[in-house]
Order: sequence, then C-alpha cells, then structure tokens
Amino acid sequence: MNRAPFIFLGVFCALAFSFVGLVLTNQLTYGSFTTHVDEDEGKAFPLQSPGLAAQGKLVYQDLGCVACHTQQVRRPGFGSDTGEGSRGWGERQSVARDYLRESRVLIGSQRVGPDLRNFAARKNAAGTEPTAESLYHYLFDPTLVSKDSAMPRYAFLFKSQQILGEPSTKALKLTGTHAAQPGYEIVPTARGEALVAYLLSLKDTYAYPETKNVYTPPAPQKKAGAPHGETKVEEKKEGHQ
Amino acid sequence: MAKDPSPSSELTPERASPHSAEAPVIDASLRTPLVVLIGSALVWLLIASVLGLVSAWKLHTPAFLDSCEFLTYGRIQPAQSNAFIYGWSFNAAFAVSLWLMARLSRGALPGCGVLLIGTLFWNAGVTLGIGGILTGFSTSIEWLELPGFATPLLLVAYALIAAWTLVVFRAGRSHEIYASQWYIFAALFWFPWIYSIAQVMLVFSPVRGTVQSVVQAWFASNLFLLWFASIALAAIYYFLPKLLLKPVSNYYLASLSFWWFAVFGSWAGISRLIGGPVPAWVQTVGAAASFMLIVPLVILWMNFFGTLSNRWSSLKGDITLRFMGFGIVAFMLVLAVWVLGALHGVAAITQFTYVTVAEAQLGLYGFFSMVVFGALYYIVPRVLNTSWASKPLIGLHFTASAVGVVLLVGSLAVGGISQGRLLADASVAFADVTKATQPYLFAANIALVILAVGQLAFALNFFWTLGRAAAPAVRSAKDLLSVQPEAAR
Repeated sequence: MNRAPFIFLGVFCALAFSFVGLVLTNQLTYGSFTTHVDEDEGKAFPLQSPGLAAQGKLVYQDLGCVACHTQQVRRPGFGSDTGEGSRGWGERQSVARDYLRESRVLIGSQRVGPDLRNFAARKNAAGTEPTAESLYHYLFDPTLVSKDSAMPRYAFLFKSQQILGEPSTKALKLTGTHAAQPGYEIVPTARGEALVAYLLSLKDTYAYPETKNVYTPPAPQKKAGAPHGETKVEEKKEGHQ
Repeated sequence: MAKDPSPSSELTPERASPHSAEAPVIDASLRTPLVVLIGSALVWLLIASVLGLVSAWKLHTPAFLDSCEFLTYGRIQPAQSNAFIYGWSFNAAFAVSLWLMARLSRGALPGCGVLLIGTLFWNAGVTLGIGGILTGFSTSIEWLELPGFATPLLLVAYALIAAWTLVVFRAGRSHEIYASQWYIFAALFWFPWIYSIAQVMLVFSPVRGTVQSVVQAWFASNLFLLWFASIALAAIYYFLPKLLLKPVSNYYLASLSFWWFAVFGSWAGISRLIGGPVPAWVQTVGAAASFMLIVPLVILWMNFFGTLSNRWSSLKGDITLRFMGFGIVAFMLVLAVWVLGALHGVAAITQFTYVTVAEAQLGLYGFFSMVVFGALYYIVPRVLNTSWASKPLIGLHFTASAVGVVLLVGSLAVGGISQGRLLADASVAFADVTKATQPYLFAANIALVILAVGQLAFALNFFWTLGRAAAPAVRSAKDLLSVQPEAAR
C-alpha cells in the first residue's frame, strides 16, 4: 500500500500550521505596526537614526557584536534589567515598537557582555553618560576605561597618522606604552567613528503608551496610567504563568 | 499510521525478508557520493573544531589574537557554528539519510552525477559563506549568519541532493514505509521550507521589527527539531531494532510521536523569546508548545529504552549502539531542558547565559553528531566493502566524544547557571559575573580539546580505511563480505 501521498499531506499541514500560526499571523498582526506620532513633540517615535549611526550598525553587524551583547531590556521583575534594584540597563523594558525602524533586528541571545539597548542613556558609576571620547578609548583598549573589562581590544578600528598642523580633535589621549610615536596621533578609522555613532544612538527613553502598563510581580506597584486594557491583560496573563 | 504490528515488519527489510542479497548492490551504488559527502563532512568537522578552539580560548583570554579583525570573537564564533551546522552536520545528514533511504526502499542509486554536483555546490556555498563571515559579511542572525550571496547556492544544492534522495525512495521496490522513512521524508521537505522562509523574511526582504526575531526563533528551533532531530531519530529507529535483533517496543506509538513533533514541536522554539519584545501571546504559545514536548519525550523513552531493556550488554559490544545509546540519552535531556527552560522562573535565570550554549551543544553534538557517528561506523565499512582500518581509533573516538560532551555540556551548564544567578543579582558587578564564569569556560575549552582528539581519530580512521579500500590489492568481494558483520561491532 502506498501511503506516501498521505504522509506528504500530513507533513505539509503540520509545518503549515506553525508557519501560519506563528510566522504569518505575526507578520499580519504586528508586521505593519506603525510609529507613534507624539503631537506635543511633533515627532514620530522611534526616531530615525542618523546616517552615520546607520553605517555604524553595519559595522556592529559585521564584527558580530551580537554574539556577546543582547539588545533587549526585559521588564521589571524578570531578571535584573530594569526597575527598582536592578542593573538599570534601561529606563523601561523594550517593546516591539522600539525596533520598527531597524532593517535588521539584533536582539541577541547571549550576555557575555552587558545589554546595549539603552547604552547611550545609561550613566556609569560616576553618573555620566557615555561620550564619544570614552567609547573610543574603550574600544581601543577596554582596560583603559574599566580595568576589569573582559572585552577584547578593537585596536583595528584605529589608525596612527602623522600630525599635520593641528592635532585631530578625535585623537586618543594615550600615555605610556599605548602612546603614539612622537609626531603621530591615534585616531579612529571611518568604521570606528561610525560604530561609536551607532552606540551613541542606542537610546530607548521615549515612553510609548504600551510601555506604561507592565505587570511587575511584587504586588504594590504604581497603577496603570492610560486605559490600554488589552496590553495589560496580556502582560498579566503572561506574568502569572 | 496503522501498521502491521507483526515483529517481522518492524525489522528492517534486509533482515526481515530474503532480500539481503541486494544490500551489497545498493551499498556499492552509493559508494562514490557517500565517500564525497562523508569526506567533506569530516573536513568541515575538523575546521569547525579549530575555529571552536580559537573562539573558546578568546572567551576566557580576550587578548588572544585580538589584533586580527578576521579572528574577532564575533566573527569566529558564527563561523564555527555555521561550519559545524552547514558543513559537518548537513553533509553527514545527507549521507546518512541517503543510505537509510536506499536501504529501506530497497533501491540502488541510478547514477550519482546529480548528487555529486549537488554536494559540490553545497560545499562551495558553505565555503563562500564561512569566508564571507570571516571577512565581515555576516548577517548577524543566529544560525543564519551565512551571507546572502552564499545561501541561494545552498538551496540549489539542497534541491539536487534532496531530489535524488527522493528518487531513490521512488525507485525502491519496498512498498512498506518505515518510521525512519517518515522522518527522512518529512525532514527533506521541511528544511527547504523553513530555510527559504528565513532567507526571504530576514535577509532578502526583511520584515518589520521583531517579527524578525519570531521568524529566527521559528527557524532555529525547527532546524534542530524538524531537520537534525528527524534525521537522527530516523537512524535510531533503523539501527536499534536491526542491531538488537528485536522489534522496537511500543512501535505503534512511534507514529504518534512523529506527528506530535511535527505539529507541536514546530511551535515550541518560540519559547526562547520569553520576556522579549514580542507579543505576550507568542511567548505563552511557545511555552505551552514546549510543555507538549513531554508527550514525544515519553514515547521515545518507551520506544528506545523499552527496546534496550535487557539488552544493555549489547551496548558494550557494538560501537554503533554505544554511540546511539549516548545520543538517545542526550536527546531526552535536551527535551527535558527545553521543557524546563519554558518555565518563567527558569528562563529568567538561564536566558542569555551559557546554559543555552550547553543546550545547543547537547543537541547538536551530544545527540545528533553522536547518533551520526554511530551510523557512520556501520555504513562506511559496508559502502567501502572493507573493515575499519583501526579498532583502537574507534574506541578512542567514542571515549573522547563521550567524555568531551559530558565535560563541555556540564561545565557550560553549571557555569551558565552561576552566571545567570549572578546576573540576576544587581548588586554583583558585571565584571565579577564575567570573572566567576572563567573557570567554567576554561573547563569547556579543555572539553573541546578532548572532542577534537576524538574527531581526529575518526577522520584519520576514515581516510585510512578509504585508502585501504582504494588500494589495488583488494581482497575478493566474497572474503570481504564475510568480514563485514564484525567490522561494525
């Protein structure tokens, strides 16, 4: 008896079930999600990232930074990403709308290094936000900035060039063994500058309506603001699971 | 999937029927393509091993080779995983499924030109892709890092190879369709579907926002469950009864677990997005589907351990069974970890840690690769018509693989749990979390060295055997046939 056609039909339907259920349904329901227009500010969020940052994202992608860094802040109470007594990796959890303008979404799956989603808005121990200068030094040799850092050096994003006239404003301030030879300076390459511009564009600080209604496990939390009942119910269900 | 439950039909046709005489003919027709497929698989396995050692070393010693852009961790790690998946695992899966299909359908290969072209294209595509990752063209999408200029080549090559496997199925004279064949048949059809969807929706015409993450999770979990696991389960369903000379226990349940995997397993991978920026219902559905994996887990347990019960001693004597026994246990563990990982409290700790790496290694190495090694120990001597060149090397391969996998998965899992717990405690500085994982990463690195020793032994043995088979002083076919049974045992 030849059952091959029936097996084939079953095999087809089985995968079609999850393809339609997961891939197509999601594409149809929120694949056409739109930006949030804030009339007070006259802008559509998330903001378009500047051109240099977009180039920098390609550098981030080609160096495979995603192998060690996630870009998703989990909600308060789930891990220690955000909320009270957390690592403060974000002012709020990441939501789907944050990624709308990205042609490639790199939420990542490993935290060998810290999450970077809200990197540019994050203050260090001294209470300052990252600057291009500190990032250049960090990428050139992470131990210059944080002596315990386990990140490798990205010295190949920098070049040594002869100082002609005024020294470059982007030149690294290096001393000791790192210092450039006399008459020379170490400056970021175009890729290095782009990467830093990208890292400095990583800011998810705008509060969308859907970010306000997040369920957090410890009961006495601030009550929901806007009446976005649906989101709230969904999040709750999920949180209790 | 009603099936004649009489024991004889559950055995493979070779033993159950008087057709054993045709087996050598079938094997001989497969010789050239299998040698090419297995040879390329082994070369990729060794390449992946070297890349893996470099990337593992960089993880605990960041300064290692850090001046070279090509060897950045972010490039070498995906190069390793893609060489392992698309280089070693796919070539090996093609070889095993082709051989199983030919044997079970009782059809000789009607010429191998198309297959060889397919294999050539496949390996060219993987080479191009790995080169692309190392030179900065990675897509940075996990398990899909191969750049867009290499992947169409892979799909064309796949079409050629898979079509030819189906030709063997159609050309065969057996009208019965065995559990192994359902799995192969289905896997051959599922892979191009998930792969082309992933390529179109992620690389060529990316969908908006985190729908991409959903597609990626759907692809990656199905690549494991619907492709790798299907091929490995096909091999187990074939070899277990054949080598133990008894039918699979509770065989009637095998079809249930097959359909269960297909229908619910294909939803389960989405559970890795728990807590992520995707709709809550997606996460919930993923978790629910993951819990459903308990059913096939129980069925496979009954099938495999039921068959093995009272025959544990055969594991000692038969290298194929030993590898497969290890693989079966590993698969049970993978499914169990999968179910546990879908629990909220567990995911909050283990997500984004080395636990997920351990799980992937347990699945791809501990389960899939071990089962394939076992199958190859049986297939190679039959196809080459000679016995394995060295028995000690076989023993070394098994011992190194078993010890290596246990150490690798164990150290990554324990290290990952401690990493997760420390990460969850915001009072521990991030640098201290990294520091605490160092010893585990070092242990994992030692495990990779042990695994590499085993792989070298296997590759050496294969090429040595190949050299012997190709030597002009081949003994007469009759003599060789009589040596065969002990060759694999």
